[in-house]
Amino acid sequence: MHIVVCMKQVLDLEKIRIKPDTHEPVLEGVPVCLGDFEKNALEQAVRIKESLDDVTVTVVSVGSPKLNKTIMEALAIGADEAVILVDPHVNGSDAMGSAIVLANVIQKIGDCDLILLGEGSTDEYSGQVPSRLAEILDLPQVTYARELEVLDHRIRAVRDLEDMLESVEVELPALVSVTQEINQPRLPPLTAILKAGKKPLHVWSLEDINASAEEVGTDAAVCEELSNLAPAKPRKEMIFDEDIDSSVNQALEALEQEGVLDL
Amino acid sequence: MDKVEVVIVGAGLAGLSAAYVLADAGVEVLVVERGDFPGSKNVSGGRLYLEPVRAYLPGLFDEAPFERQVVKERLTMLTSESSVTVELASDRFRSSPANSVTVLRARFDQWLAEKASEKGAFIIPGYKVDDVWMEEGRVAGIRSNEDILQADVVIAADGVLSFIAEKAGMRECHQPRNVALGVKEIIELPEKRIQDLFGLKAGEGATQLFFGSITEGMMGGGFLYTNQTSLSLGMVISIHDLMQKHPTISPHDLFELFKKRPEIEVLISGGHSVEYSAHDVPEGGLKSIPRLYAGGLLVAGDAAGLCLNQGITLRGMDMAIVSGVLAGRAVLDARQKKDYTAESLGIYEKYLKGSSIYQDLSTFQHMPEILSNPRLFEKYPEVASELLLEIFRVDAQPKQKISRTVLRTISRELLKVDVLRDLWHMRKI
Ligand SMILES: Cc1cc2nc3c(=O)[nH]c(=O)nc-3n(C[C@H](O)[C@H](O)[C@H](O)COP(=O)(O)OP(=O)(O)OC[C@H]3O[C@@H](n4cnc5c(N)ncnc54)[C@H](O)[C@@H]3O)c2cc1C
Ligand SMILES: Cc1cc2nc3c(=O)[nH]c(=O)nc-3n(C[C@H](O)[C@H](O)[C@H](O)COP(=O)(O)OP(=O)(O)OC[C@H]3O[C@@H](n4cnc5c(N)ncnc54)[C@H](O)[C@@H]3O)c2cc1C
Repeated sequence: MHIVVCMKQVLDLEKIRIKPDTHEPVLEGVPVCLGDFEKNALEQAVRIKESLDDVTVTVVSVGSPKLNKTIMEALAIGADEAVILVDPHVNGSDAMGSAIVLANVIQKIGDCDLILLGEGSTDEYSGQVPSRLAEILDLPQVTYARELEVLDHRIRAVRDLEDMLESVEVELPALVSVTQEINQPRLPPLTAILKAGKKPLHVWSLEDINASAEEVGTDAAVCEELSNLAPAKPRKEMIFDEDIDSSVNQALEALEQEGVLDL
Repeated sequence: MDKVEVVIVGAGLAGLSAAYVLADAGVEVLVVERGDFPGSKNVSGGRLYLEPVRAYLPGLFDEAPFERQVVKERLTMLTSESSVTVELASDRFRSSPANSVTVLRARFDQWLAEKASEKGAFIIPGYKVDDVWMEEGRVAGIRSNEDILQADVVIAADGVLSFIAEKAGMRECHQPRNVALGVKEIIELPEKRIQDLFGLKAGEGATQLFFGSITEGMMGGGFLYTNQTSLSLGMVISIHDLMQKHPTISPHDLFELFKKRPEIEVLISGGHSVEYSAHDVPEGGLKSIPRLYAGGLLVAGDAAGLCLNQGITLRGMDMAIVSGVLAGRAVLDARQKKDYTAESLGIYEKYLKGSSIYQDLSTFQHMPEILSNPRLFEKYPEVASELLLEIFRVDAQPKQKISRTVLRTISRELLKVDVLRDLWHMRKI
């Protein structure tokens, strides 16, 4: 069985600072990492690999040259090999462009039984890539899976529909996007990171796959970013420094006045 | 068990310099850093002296991401209501190559890590080394969580607290006398405003050090460095004095009072605080240097206590770089002999003792005693500012001759046993 996991390289959100005067995020110099939801997808793939015989896991990512390094974490966690597509033409792709590139990468990789993705990316979180990718590849899709089990040539999944859970069974090959509830991703041990450097890493550009520069990137994107600002939230800067009892009471009162607490 | 040739604990300047030298020579080297990325946990005021390091890594620093070339030095003595500043500006500071530059560690360390990676070093952030791994009485690797990684040599470059050096038995637990606490804030300001405030051209930088009443008689002082678009402002205070003299004062509060001084307030008004950090500084000088080598282990940088507080300069970064390079060279020698015993690695100490940084540490070994004198922070700034106030002020009463004012101050304030004793002690530095 061959599992492909799609992982996106994103800016480390915790390291993004918001300019206090303009509310713009400062994106320069922010380190990159693999998306959170994708780590759940990879963890699930590795668990399947550990529980069944003859499973291989390939991780796929489309992004900037920093992927050469970022992807090591996925190899350390347990993917057998990685394919990264690094090409300046894909910069600025919207969800459609990303799905087209991913589809072509996966088609070139060849036979694959299960494709796993996160429910949404950690940065843009449009949640569109999984469905678009399934459509292009003409595969059955199961989105928002919080449980996933591989049976013989089939999978059984539980989907999170907010007010209800849905149990589904699908024939393989299929595509599944997972939620964070599905598992607790592992931290790879130090020595696994060392070994990751020795696993196969394939670096492709658009030329290597069957996609043209016109279909992807900023120019092909139908979504245009109009503004990217953090909501203005001035700090209240109230300090209560009398004795502990009256400070607690004053703090509670202030919270009630702000509508945070209902006492 | 997995094995590499060299494991370096800590991706600070010492660890990265060692990694660079080793990888450059084709050695398989792994750097383990507990922070999210190299430089994420590292704090310096931010002035790097380049002369001591240049010859050790020729050419490397030519395109380094420095903030500004320092062309102006200010030293300010503070009393509770006055300040006296000495300023040195010189064309000699403007010549190339720079004598000293300001750096921001997050940026600079990441750059050096990039350079070491290009040479083939493998840098793993996000992992803490918990202990050394011993085999047959010598260090033979590291332990991180349940994971054991064997190595021919481990270089402990894990900074001032160096639990690795302590666990490997290289030194006792730290004494408060040998450690100071530094707090620092980075305050963002427009580039042009920084240049106007300090009278600088683009790319030029200034530094300002402060001592006096701001530390309430405790050993220490304030510092200010200009970066491209920010100021690094901070204070360093002896932990021993904090414990003995003012156990209830928090350094954070002292720092806030420092920031409210008019001398500082005008400089930072309108700026945004973008980073606040606290970090220890080794200040014991030569006497606090631990054992530097053992079978399978070398200690470099702050971990080896290689830091020099000269009162008017604080040097740790250049020493970290030089000791890192020398540790790397010592490993290369040992590797050639395939002998990683203490005797073989001992060459590291020889290299270090032959370097200018070690000689400076030796020349200024009495600095900690001199700087721990409370008169330096209370009495002398007071005398200097009183004298100048008398000279500069014009009051309703007729003024004295300047020579008389000076002589009177000298006889009244300075011809005293303790002052003469201080002067006598100064010959040691
Ligand atoms: C700051 C910033 C920088 C950017 N830089 C680049 C860049 O350098 N190069 C570039 O090509 N695009 C870049 N983009 C564009 C971005 O990759 C696309 O907008 C994105 O892929 C669209 O979908 P989404 O993130 O909303 O995905 P969603 O549909 O929310 O993602 C769902 C799942 O799809 C999978 N997935 C999504 N995108 C990828 C991917 N790229 N690779 C592998 N799996 C994926 C993951 O499993 C993810 O969990 C950048 C965007 C931003 C905001
Ligand atoms: C406030 C302040 C101002 C200063 N100003 C100056 C100045 O202006 N000029 C100057 O030259 N020097 C200055 N110094 C001193 C200088 O910062 C240090 O001497 C220098 O950083 C030492 O470098 P290093 O590589 O030895 O240690 P560090 O830079 O401290 O690096 C040690 C690294 O090891 C990592 N580490 C620690 N333990 C572990 C572990 N168990 N596992 C994995 N990683 C670990 C840490 O995260 C860190 O990245 C200042 C220091 C302070 C605190």
